[in-house]
Amino acid sequence: MDWPAFLPLFLTASVEWVEAFTIVLAVSLTIGWGAAIGAAAAGLGTLAALTALTGGALSLGLDLHAIQLVIGVFLLLFGVRWLAKAIARQAGLKPLHDEDAEFRETRATIGKGDWFAAWLVAYKGTLLEGLEVWLIVVAFSLHSQAWVSNGLVALLALVVVCVAGVAVHAPLRRVPENAIKFVVGAMICSFGSFWTLEALAGNVWPGGDRSLMGLALFFLAGGQALAAVLRAQSRHVAV
Amino acid sequence: MKAFAKTLFGDAWNIIGVAVIVAVAEGLTALHHADWAVFAMPAAGLGVIAWLARR
Repeated sequence: MDWPAFLPLFLTASVEWVEAFTIVLAVSLTIGWGAAIGAAAAGLGTLAALTALTGGALSLGLDLHAIQLVIGVFLLLFGVRWLAKAIARQAGLKPLHDEDAEFRETRATIGKGDWFAAWLVAYKGTLLEGLEVWLIVVAFSLHSQAWVSNGLVALLALVVVCVAGVAVHAPLRRVPENAIKFVVGAMICSFGSFWTLEALAGNVWPGGDRSLMGLALFFLAGGQALAAVLRAQSRHVAV
Repeated sequence: MKAFAKTLFGDAWNIIGVAVIVAVAEGLTALHHADWAVFAMPAAGLGVIAWLARR
């Protein structure tokens, strides 16, 4: 079990599956639960195949430093985006993600289309939301080689979201998505910085893996400070 | 395909921002100051995040 990866992986997957669930729920009202779940399953199957293919291809003895650099950069691409978005939302520069609005938009989109168009919306929604889960699973698994357990963590998040979603039978609007994105963004930025620099310069991080904790605290505290400064600036401009 | 690429890489500004972070790390490493990169890289990361959040 890859315990350092558990929390960022579970939280990332949960946020993405909540968004995918909203889309599938909206589509199910048009084409029925069976077809909507079929589309989601097809999306998940594509992701599973993608993960298996990636795992197989990347286990063929590629240069470890090159892989680590690629993973680090991908994690930075992902983490920087999530953290910046979460800070902008916390500072009031961008509206919070609204699952109800997403639900309404999806309903409006498929309201004009046919059965297959609606099926495709559910398939594409699951696939695109799941791509970020795939990216995180691949990144952590390449480092630890814990492909199965990391894949199972993503599946566990899927089960939790589905059970919660079926229980309330509505978009999961009470999930504190921005707070989760903030924490996950900080954690992913930490892993991305750590692996990128380690790939470029070797073992330079003081304390080795323990530096990850310091990096996470830096990005969390720095992110909170940034959000406070940006909020104060936007209020100043508004006045 | 466009949605696929945007999901994986983010927009052009995101790519530019990460390129700056990696350039800071690579530049200091090439100049034999990797020990400085340990501090400069996260700082550059936070700077890029601030820039992206304001956009």
